[in-house]
Amino acid sequence: MREFFRLLRKIIKTGVARSRFVMAAIGLGIAMVLILVAIQTYTDFNQLLYGAQNQNETADFLVINKQITNAMMGQANKSAFSKEEIEQISKQPFVQSFGVVTPSQFKVVAQAPGDLHFATDMFFEAVPDSFLDVKSEDWKWEPGNNTIPIILPNDFLNLYNFGFSLSQDLPQISQETVKALPLQVNISGNGRSDSYIGRIVGFSDRISSFLVPASFMNWANQKYGAGQAAGTTRVIVKTPDPSNPKLVKFLNDNGYTTNLDKLKFSKTRVIVQTIVSVVGFFGLVLLFFALLVFSMFIQLVIAGSKEEIQLLVTLGAAPQQLQRYLLKQFVPLYVIIGIVSLVLVAACQYAASIALSRHQMLVDPWPGVGVFAAIVLIMLLVYLVNWLTVKKYVNN
Amino acid sequence: MEIQLSQLMPIPLRDKLSQRKSDIWNEEVTFRPGTFVKIKAPSGSGKTTLIHYLYNIRFDYTGQIRVDNKPWPDHSKNEIAGIRQQHISIIFQDLRLFGQLSASENIELKRVMIPQPYCSADKVKEMAARLNVTHVLQQSGKTLSYGERQRIAIIRALSQPFKWLLMDEPFSHLDAENARLAAELIAEECKSRQAGFILTDLDDDQHFAYDVKLQL
Repeated sequence: MREFFRLLRKIIKTGVARSRFVMAAIGLGIAMVLILVAIQTYTDFNQLLYGAQNQNETADFLVINKQITNAMMGQANKSAFSKEEIEQISKQPFVQSFGVVTPSQFKVVAQAPGDLHFATDMFFEAVPDSFLDVKSEDWKWEPGNNTIPIILPNDFLNLYNFGFSLSQDLPQISQETVKALPLQVNISGNGRSDSYIGRIVGFSDRISSFLVPASFMNWANQKYGAGQAAGTTRVIVKTPDPSNPKLVKFLNDNGYTTNLDKLKFSKTRVIVQTIVSVVGFFGLVLLFFALLVFSMFIQLVIAGSKEEIQLLVTLGAAPQQLQRYLLKQFVPLYVIIGIVSLVLVAACQYAASIALSRHQMLVDPWPGVGVFAAIVLIMLLVYLVNWLTVKKYVNN
Repeated sequence: MEIQLSQLMPIPLRDKLSQRKSDIWNEEVTFRPGTFVKIKAPSGSGKTTLIHYLYNIRFDYTGQIRVDNKPWPDHSKNEIAGIRQQHISIIFQDLRLFGQLSASENIELKRVMIPQPYCSADKVKEMAARLNVTHVLQQSGKTLSYGERQRIAIIRALSQPFKWLLMDEPFSHLDAENARLAAELIAEECKSRQAGFILTDLDDDQHFAYDVKLQL
C-alpha cells in the first residue's frame, strides 16, 4: 500500500494552495491553545476556590438584613423578614445552615464597674451557638444565674481603644482586662427592672453585635418583653462559598444586604469566568473557521485532481483507498498541531503553578483532565470533519 | 464469472440501431467464463460504448448488464472497485495513461493497487521485454508514442488478476509484428488465469483463436 500511496502522491497534487493550508493549520493551533487555556484556567480557578490545599476556611458566615431605604424609615416592621422570606432564604442551595438573630425586647443599660464612670444604653442580640466563632466555657446561662455572659464585636473594642479612649484621655483596655471586668447590666421592661452582672467572655469577628446566650434571651424576652415578639430583621447563614455569584444575585434581587467585603471575591470570579468564556468562545469560533478552511482546502485538492481521481477510480482504485490516502496527507499535521498545543499549554500551566505557589496558591503543575479530554475531542472533531469532506468529494 | 446482457440498448443510438440487425444490441447475450469473444463492429455502431457499458463507466442504456447474476447498478462502489481490481481488466481505446507518471509507474500503479500484487515486478519487466518496450519504461507517459502507450496499457491490464479482459481495438496503433507479439502474450496470460476476453475491432483478424464471434 505504501508504494501505491507513493504513486498517488505524484498523481494527486496536495501542494496547491499550500500557504492557505499552513494558515488554516496555524489557525487551528491558536484555536486549540485558546480552548485549552480557557479550560485550564477554569480548572485552576476552581482548584484555587475549592481545592483541599487552598482551603483557608472559604466557608463563611453572613449576617443578612434588608437594606434600609428612605421609604422604609420609621416603619420598623418593613425591615423585618416575613415567614416566607425566611423560608426562602433557608432553602437556597448556597445556604449550608441558617439561623435567626433574635433581638432583645427590653432596655439595657450597662455600667462600668468602680470609678470608671462609664454607662451606656445598649441592646442585646442572640444567635444559635453554632454560628459563634468564640468558644468559651462560660458561654452558658440558666434561669437563676445572675451573671450574663456577653460576646462583644471585636470592632467595638477597637473603636474604643483607637478612637474613643485616645481622644477622651481614657486608658486603652486589653481584651484580657475587658474579660476580667464585670459590668453592671440593668435590664428593664414590662414594669420590672433588675440588675445583673455582665461578663465579657469573648470577642467576635463574625457578628457585629452584642451577643448573649439564646437561653438568656428567650427567658429575658418573656420576662421583660412586651409579650409581642418583634419581627426578625437579621438572619445569619453559613455558606460554603461567599463568592458564589448566585448568592450575590439572590441578595441583590431581593434587596438584601450583608457585609459586602465578604462578597467582593464574587466580582473577581464573575470577571474571570467572563474572560474565560470569551477566550473559549473565540477559540471555538476560530476552530470553526479552521475546520471550514480545511474542508475548502480538501475540496480544492480534490477538485484540482478531479480527472486523475476519476481515472484512478476507473482503473479500480477503491474510494476507501483514496480516502485513506487523502486523510493520511492531512491528519499527521493535525496530530502535530494538537501535540504542540498541548505542550504549550502544559508549559504555561507549569509556569503558572510556580508563579502562583509564590503566593501560597497551589495549583496542579500539569494540565487537568479537562484539557486532555478537550484535545481528544477536538482531534476527533477535526478528523470527523475531514473524513466526511473527503468521503463526500471523493465519492462525487 | 458470467456476464449477461439483456435487451441492452444505448439511449443515444436507439433510433439508429433499431433499424439494423445486431447480435448484441437488444438481444439476450451471455458471455461464458473463459471464452474468447470477438465483436466485430463498424464505426459508429457503438463499439466503445459497449465496452464502457461492460466496464460500468457509462450508464445511458436501457436493458440490463448482469455480472455474477447481479445488475451493475446493484453493486456498491467498493464492490465495483473490487471487481476492477480482481475480476475485470481493461485496455481502453484511448489508453488512459497518467502523463505525470513514467511508463513503469503506470504499470506499477495498477500492480500495487491490491495489497498482494498478482504478478511480480520481474514479470512486468519480462512482459515489457516481450513487447519491446523495455527502453521506454522510465520515460514519462507524456512522451511515449501511441504504439508505446498501447503496449504499456496492455501490460498494465495484464499486471492484475482478472476473469475477463475487455479490449477496445487493442492493436490499433501497432504494426503487424508487434500486434502478433501482444496477442500472443494476451492469450497466454488469459489462459494462465483461465480468463476470457471480449475484444472489439473494426475488421476480422487472426490474432486469436476466437470461441465466439459476434457482429455488433
